[in-house]
Amino acid sequence: MQGLERNLKKGLAILLAAFILLGVYYCYILFFYSDRWFANSYNPRVKLDAWEPKVIPGDIKDRNGKVLATTIKEKRQNPETNQKQIYYYRSYLGGREQAKSIAHVVGFNDAKLGRSGVEALQVKYLMGYNNPFYEKVYQKIFLPQEVGNNLHLTIDIDLQQYIDKALGKNKGSVVVMDAETGEILAMVSHPDFNPNRLEKVEGDVLLNRATEGFYMPGSIFKVIVAAAALNNLEGVSSITFDCQGAIEIGSQTISCYGGESHGQVDLNQAMTVSCNGYFVDITNKLGKEKLLKTAEAFGFNQDFIFPDLKLAASSLPLKGSVSAEKLALISIGQGEVQVTPLHMAMVASAIANDGIMMEPKLVYEVVGRNGRIQQKLQSKIYRKAMSRENAKIMQAMLKNVVDKGTGKGAAIKGRQVAGKTGTAEINNGDSEVRNNAWFIGYVIGNKSKIAVSIVIEDLPAGQTGGKLAAPLAGKILKKALDLGY
Amino acid sequence: MSDKKFEIISLTMRYWFIGLIIFITIRILMETLRTSQHHDYEDEGPFGHIIFFMVIFLSSAYALLAYKNPNGFDKYTALLGIIVGISFVVQYNLFRLIFPRMDRILLIIVDILTIFGFIMLYRFNPDFAKSQMKYFIVGNIALLFFIIFTHKSRMNVIFSYILMALGCILLLLPIIFGKETFGAKSWISIRGFNIQPSEFVKIILIFVFASWFRQDNKFREHLPAYIFAALSILLVVLQRDLGAALLYFYIFIFVYYVATSDWIMVLLAGGAATLGSIMSYHLFSHIRVRVEAWKNPWRDIENKGYQIAHSLMAISSGGLIGTGLGLGSPQVVPAFKTDFIFATICEEFGIITGFCIIGLYAMIVIRGVSVALRSTEPYKALLAFGATVALTLQAFTIIGGVIKMIPLTGVTMPFVSYGGSSMVTSLALVGVLEGVAIGTGDNNDEDDPSEEDVYEEDVE
Repeated sequence: MQGLERNLKKGLAILLAAFILLGVYYCYILFFYSDRWFANSYNPRVKLDAWEPKVIPGDIKDRNGKVLATTIKEKRQNPETNQKQIYYYRSYLGGREQAKSIAHVVGFNDAKLGRSGVEALQVKYLMGYNNPFYEKVYQKIFLPQEVGNNLHLTIDIDLQQYIDKALGKNKGSVVVMDAETGEILAMVSHPDFNPNRLEKVEGDVLLNRATEGFYMPGSIFKVIVAAAALNNLEGVSSITFDCQGAIEIGSQTISCYGGESHGQVDLNQAMTVSCNGYFVDITNKLGKEKLLKTAEAFGFNQDFIFPDLKLAASSLPLKGSVSAEKLALISIGQGEVQVTPLHMAMVASAIANDGIMMEPKLVYEVVGRNGRIQQKLQSKIYRKAMSRENAKIMQAMLKNVVDKGTGKGAAIKGRQVAGKTGTAEINNGDSEVRNNAWFIGYVIGNKSKIAVSIVIEDLPAGQTGGKLAAPLAGKILKKALDLGY
Repeated sequence: MSDKKFEIISLTMRYWFIGLIIFITIRILMETLRTSQHHDYEDEGPFGHIIFFMVIFLSSAYALLAYKNPNGFDKYTALLGIIVGISFVVQYNLFRLIFPRMDRILLIIVDILTIFGFIMLYRFNPDFAKSQMKYFIVGNIALLFFIIFTHKSRMNVIFSYILMALGCILLLLPIIFGKETFGAKSWISIRGFNIQPSEFVKIILIFVFASWFRQDNKFREHLPAYIFAALSILLVVLQRDLGAALLYFYIFIFVYYVATSDWIMVLLAGGAATLGSIMSYHLFSHIRVRVEAWKNPWRDIENKGYQIAHSLMAISSGGLIGTGLGLGSPQVVPAFKTDFIFATICEEFGIITGFCIIGLYAMIVIRGVSVALRSTEPYKALLAFGATVALTLQAFTIIGGVIKMIPLTGVTMPFVSYGGSSMVTSLALVGVLEGVAIGTGDNNDEDDPSEEDVYEEDVE
């Protein structure tokens, strides 16, 4: 029989290739995902058993050591055995109402509802699964009850509560992060809930809008378009556009805010006044591939796999064929582009940090029994979003926005603030148009650059990013400066 | 206190176990690579020490499980571990003495995989392990039988028709008499024994394909084999046994291509299979559910994604060297003792062990195909190759499904999963491989004229 030997060898190669693929996939998937799978709130191994916990989960503290979450022991009547037994439960900020402000970021650990937030994702540390062998054996021999490790977050509870108050009854989200290290100083999502009273939770309040809320970015997306233009168009600063208040693309007219015509504008001026016409025009000149490439450098369409938090992927659907109308809408942040507030804070941080996007960090350190530090925050570069030179140009443009453009409200006396406002218009099918007001930006702080991302959703027409989000950003950044950042 | 004592011992023993497992795997790998080029088995050197370490592994695991007993050290468990360990030594040496030319490393790989099954099953419930040991004994009889049967078989047309008929009848049985379990109707119950005929038909397929495709014939002369292949796949699809259908298809495609180099037919069959899967995706909801659960098991953990999500959580709970035997909670994984046993091994013995197990199956590929390569008869070569494909791609299908690499199709993990049909069939397939192996090298062997005579007679 001809070629049998050769064919057998081919067969061997195919079968072996299948197994090599299996082995490689096995290593890859476990390396990147095993901590997330383990932390899943359905994993029964790390459930807090109220009556007979195997391990008592550790405390969660803020960066200054204030206790955010702890385990409380209480004598209660066990309905199953009808005896007085010790009952264990998690208590947040001493069980007070203020725990609302940390509800999403810290999350909860409840026998019935499962886990969320840091309580879920860092359960490995809180339940002591990361303890080395001798520590586990020591605890089994010498401790009456095994204990988990304490977790210090990068969150500053004072700033967090300030933002919570400042946001008031508005729906939306605020993220404040250190642009140079990626530490998240505050992350607020509204509406919130009291993690001490989970039985009252209803609606979509459990959704952490900062990491899982999808928003149209509106004009803050122009930052990405401008970055793409700086990266790809030679002599972009000399390209001008004659704004007549509106631009026609195909069958569709895109007008500037309030129908205002801005006249001859270049990139810098267009950014300052947030001229829609200019950005639609420049996107046409760029082409969708180049815009997509820059946006992906800024983290769009990427599966964010961060050890400290779960972040939904922002999407920019520019693959395949895209009509001119769609592209025009996307260039001003309308249409099908979707972002999360935390991702926008990362974008602002990347610009502030001269083009380097840092990995967002939420865990400051893990402290074991007896105060031994098991793990300490190590800043990590996530990706290079743009070149240093272009980032400097972008910083100057965004500073102009705050100094004399739509972002005036964010200015802080004696401080350098830069940023971009945005107003996304949401047509919910029916008559009324609702606005989402955005501001992303940063301030040069005492030690580092502090970036902020704000979205306030579901506002009546007329409420814009400039009117609402920018002043709020100013207040929040000032508070952060006052706190010494 | 006894609980804590056990926990501490188990935590400590992890290092001992992982050391043994890595050592055994590396030794097997070294011997696999060293000897797969050789043609003379007598020269392969002693592998007895690998068996020795495997027995140590088994006995120490059972000794550890003996501590798990709430009433103190359970002498019976410890003793059982030693007895079963010794019987592995006896089994290995018996086969080695009866068939000096057999592929001993293959047998060693099979034994270590079986030992993993024995340990995990005893840890779940001693009764599972005891049943599995009985199946293993029956499987060894099948192994012995198929070594001799394969060695002697020359396969003529009439016999292959009889086999085809037998295969169809076996596959029809569960459709007529079977009862539905887990959405599939692939089991029949005889006197309390549950049997899965689709497992045994794998052996028939291999013999039928090898006998029809051994001659480089024209397309239409292979026709009965095609019809049998299509019919058997159709019948297992009717049983809703997707895993078996996939496996039958693999066996057909691989054996057919190796025999005929006819890649056009392979492409056609592949196209038909793709079309069939797309159609069944749209037609059958249970297949859609499988695919959805594979794409994102976390979206609907409580229903569709339940199995895979729990499997992934179990795998990730162990870390590199596992939680320690008896310290995980693998019982929360559905089908933990059959399809998902890989996940439970990963939880308690660690990610490294899971990797070693993948490696052990890959070594079956190398051993199996080198047996086929050594064989001078096309028929025997195809038999060996078919058996290799059946064993290893079954392992690939289930491990890939358990770690979410491919959509989950319910097949057992050969030698490890709990179940008589699976154990006996897998060992029978090893018998086929070994049967081919003992026949190789006959041509230049003068020590054993009797076998040579048999061979020549049969050729004429």
